[in-house]
Amino acid sequence: MGFDVNRFQGPVDEELICPICSGVLQDPVQAPDCEHAFCRLCMNEWINRQPTCPLDRTPITAAQLLPAPRILRNLLSRLRIKCDNFVHGCQQDIKLDALMAHLEECEYNPKRPITCEQGCSLIIPKDEMKNHNCVRELRNLIQSQHQNVTEMRRELSEQQFQLNEQKREIHLLKDFMRAMRVSNPIMRDIAEQMERDEVARWSATLPRARVTRWGGMISTPDELLQTMIKRTLSEYNCPPHVINELMENCHERKWPAGLNSLETRQNSRRQYESYVCKRVPGKQAVIVLHCDNTHMPEDMTVEPGLVMIFAHGIE
Amino acid sequence: MATNIAAQRIKREFKEVIKSEEVSLYLNVAQCSIKVELVNDSCVELKGEIAGPPDTPYEGGNFILEIKIPETYPFNPPKVRFITKIWHPNISSITGAICLDILKDQWAAAMTLRTVLLSLQALLSAAEPDDPQDAVVAKQYKEQPEMFHQTAKHWTSVYAGGPSKMPELDEKIKRLTDMGIEEHNARDALSSYNWDLERATEQLFS
Repeated sequence: MGFDVNRFQGPVDEELICPICSGVLQDPVQAPDCEHAFCRLCMNEWINRQPTCPLDRTPITAAQLLPAPRILRNLLSRLRIKCDNFVHGCQQDIKLDALMAHLEECEYNPKRPITCEQGCSLIIPKDEMKNHNCVRELRNLIQSQHQNVTEMRRELSEQQFQLNEQKREIHLLKDFMRAMRVSNPIMRDIAEQMERDEVARWSATLPRARVTRWGGMISTPDELLQTMIKRTLSEYNCPPHVINELMENCHERKWPAGLNSLETRQNSRRQYESYVCKRVPGKQAVIVLHCDNTHMPEDMTVEPGLVMIFAHGIE
Repeated sequence: MATNIAAQRIKREFKEVIKSEEVSLYLNVAQCSIKVELVNDSCVELKGEIAGPPDTPYEGGNFILEIKIPETYPFNPPKVRFITKIWHPNISSITGAICLDILKDQWAAAMTLRTVLLSLQALLSAAEPDDPQDAVVAKQYKEQPEMFHQTAKHWTSVYAGGPSKMPELDEKIKRLTDMGIEEHNARDALSSYNWDLERATEQLFS
């Protein structure tokens, strides 16, 4: 719909008035044959009801409407119009083609977003500033955040529940597979392969460790130390079918020939650096898994792997 | 949006009619004049007035119109009807409803109150008996033009302040009112039966 004639200085030429809304043409279109011009919005509204020219009833369709000629648009753009916010105090007369740009930055626009400088720094429409209360706004904000947190907690616990359910199911499946393995040799192979894969996957999740002082190795750790390491392995998702074997292999009596006595260890010392060691997180201990160390001589590794506990010297 | 346009348009058109009124006063051609005034100061309802055109049975009469502006104006036509009773083939002698194409499917958004009132004035000069709103009037118009002319003139003088006096018609009405018939009903019945007193009486008492 067009602009109110009263917003313009002096009389506006009749040619620039939309015959539908009787305002000054806004975004004008023209009928193809009779060349009568109307506001685009007014004309769309009319043509939806009746496909004719509103002045002379020539049949026309929406697709036939043309943009108004340049001269008409130029005449319109030269008119000076009062700002939309003149009731709020804006005294400017703006050229019609600059109106949009002006409105975006008009400081009299009651809805212009401004930043609160009383402390809360929220961005609010200017006309709401008068009744603005930082404490109340922030309190509302906290309340809505609080609701979000509660909602997220609820979701979290729900997902935790689902996760536990799935873990339980996986556990059942594993038990089931183990039972099948016992009764079927092919299944046994498959299951062993899967277990080996599981160990390899677990190994990939652990960080590489570097031993700086091989001399710090404790070849005969006590029960307490062993329990502590075992708990850590379990916390870090060590596959349950290898954890006991691994822990048994933390003592020199279970170590392979190349490691099982002080004497053989002295002989193998030079090869220590070739080990691929994985860190037991947070502990002065490393895991030497068989699957990571197939390059080592046979008397230096053992299935599924061994644990070496140190007094110090692990990075 | 539509309501806004309607109000803006009506204000402008109101001024336009006032302006044309002043012009016609200045030219002293008051018999062609049209008038419009706001009802209750709203742009929703207006009262229109048209003078009966010269050389017609409506000459000298002033006809009042009820004009209702729909919310969707000017995309839909205003709703107009005659408040003043009138004898015309395209206007109901009972309700004042008007049969005029531009108030229906031939409406165009660029038409205004002024053009509507002028069209109605033109309708009074040139009836369309083949597209009637009042079949009784239309029949009389076609079959007994002289009778129609008399009746229309009589209605103009009674309801619209027209100048002509028709004592013989008044006499017939008086015969019926003496029998206890209400005057309007008596006139309606007589007009419908070509002022045949006997048939009008029969119809009124049947």
